Amino acid sequence: MPNNQDAKNGNAEKDLIDRIASGFVVESEEDMTAGYKKSLITQLMVQGDTELMSAPAYYLASKDAPTINSRIAVTAIIHDELGHANIAYRILEDLGVDKHWLVYGREPNQFKHPYGFDQPLEDWAEMVVANGFFDRAGITLLGDVLNNTSYGPLKRALVKVDREEILHLRHGESWMRRLAKAGGEAKDLLQRAVDWMFPMTLEWFGLPDGLKRHSGQLDYKLKGKTNDQLRQTWMEATVPLCEGIGIDVPAHYDDVAREFVLDYPFPCQYDPQEKRWDFDAPLSWDDVFQRWKARGPMNQRYTEMVQGDLGSIFGGRLW
Amino acid sequence: MSDKIYEVFARKNHDGALVHVGSLNASDDELAKAYAWTMYDEENWVEMCVVPRDAVIRVTHDRKIPLWGN
Repeated sequence: MPNNQDAKNGNAEKDLIDRIASGFVVESEEDMTAGYKKSLITQLMVQGDTELMSAPAYYLASKDAPTINSRIAVTAIIHDELGHANIAYRILEDLGVDKHWLVYGREPNQFKHPYGFDQPLEDWAEMVVANGFFDRAGITLLGDVLNNTSYGPLKRALVKVDREEILHLRHGESWMRRLAKAGGEAKDLLQRAVDWMFPMTLEWFGLPDGLKRHSGQLDYKLKGKTNDQLRQTWMEATVPLCEGIGIDVPAHYDDVAREFVLDYPFPCQYDPQEKRWDFDAPLSWDDVFQRWKARGPMNQRYTEMVQGDLGSIFGGRLW
Repeated sequence: MSDKIYEVFARKNHDGALVHVGSLNASDDELAKAYAWTMYDEENWVEMCVVPRDAVIRVTHDRKIPLWGN
C-alpha cells in the first residue's frame, strides 16, 4: 500500500497531466511536478548536447567546403548551432542546472547527443548529407516539440531555432542535388555518405513504439509524436529526395501498409571504422544501447574541441 | 556563476512591437550587447535592447509570466 506522500505525489502527477491534456501551458517551476521537471531536463539536455556536438563535427568538415560561399555557409551554421545549444542550456540554468558545468564540467561520455555526432565527417559529401539528414532529424524532432510542448519558455525559444534549422536543411539538400547532378566521383561519394548516414539517422529516433518503455514525455506533452511517427516524418522527406536524385536508400514506400518500410533488419551492426552497416547482422536494442553508451570514435576529440584547454590560463574558469 | 542574466528585446520593423526574443549570460552590459547582437541574429532588427533580468519589474503576479527562457 503506498504511503500518503506517494499517493499525494501520484495525485499531483495525474492532476498536472489532466490539466496539460486540456491545454494548460507550464510557465514556472511552481507549475511543475518532480516527474515533469525531470523529463523536461532530460529532453533539454539531449537537445542542447546535440546542437553543441554538431559544432565541432561541422567545424572539421568545413575545411572541405569547395567554395568560399559554402565555407561561409557552414561556419554560419556552426554559429547557429552553438546559439541553439546556448538557448537550451539557458533554460536549463533557469531550472537549476549549472550551465558552466553542462559545457565544461562533463566527461565526453556524459553528453547526451546521438551516436551520429560521434562520427567523423570526412568529405564534403558527408558534410552536406549531415545538413540534409541530421538537420532534417533536428527539425523533425524540434518541430514536433515546437508544435506540441506544454512548456511555454521552450515553445517561444524554438521559434528562432526552427527558423535557422530550415536554412541548414536547405543548404544540405541543395548541395545533395548538386553533387548528384555532377555525377562521377562526386555522386559516388554522395551515395557512400548516404549509405552510412541514412541508417544512422533512423537509429537516432530510438526504440520502436512496440518496445518503448513508458517515458512520460508524451503524457506531459513535452513532445507530440511517437518515435515511429517521427521516423516516418523524416522518411517522408528524405526518401523522395534521394529517389529523385538517383541515390539509393534502404527504405521504400509500401502502398499496402501506406507507410515507409525499411529494407534491412532494424537495428543492426555498425562498424564505425569502415563506416559500414552490416545488414546480415541484426542486433537487439540492448546491443545498440551498449554501442551508444560506449560512444563513437570522435567523442573525445569533439568534446575537447568544445571545452578547449581546461588547464590553460584562460580555460576552465568562470569568466 | 559570475555572469548576470540579461533579457533580449528586439524590433523587426519600424511599425512593429518590441518583443522578447531570448536571454543570455554576460558579466557586464557591454558584453551583453555584443552577445545579444551575435547570438540573436535571426533577423535584421531595426532595434535591439538588453535588460538585466533583475531590472525587470513584473506587473502580473509573481513568476506567472516568466521572462526566463527565451
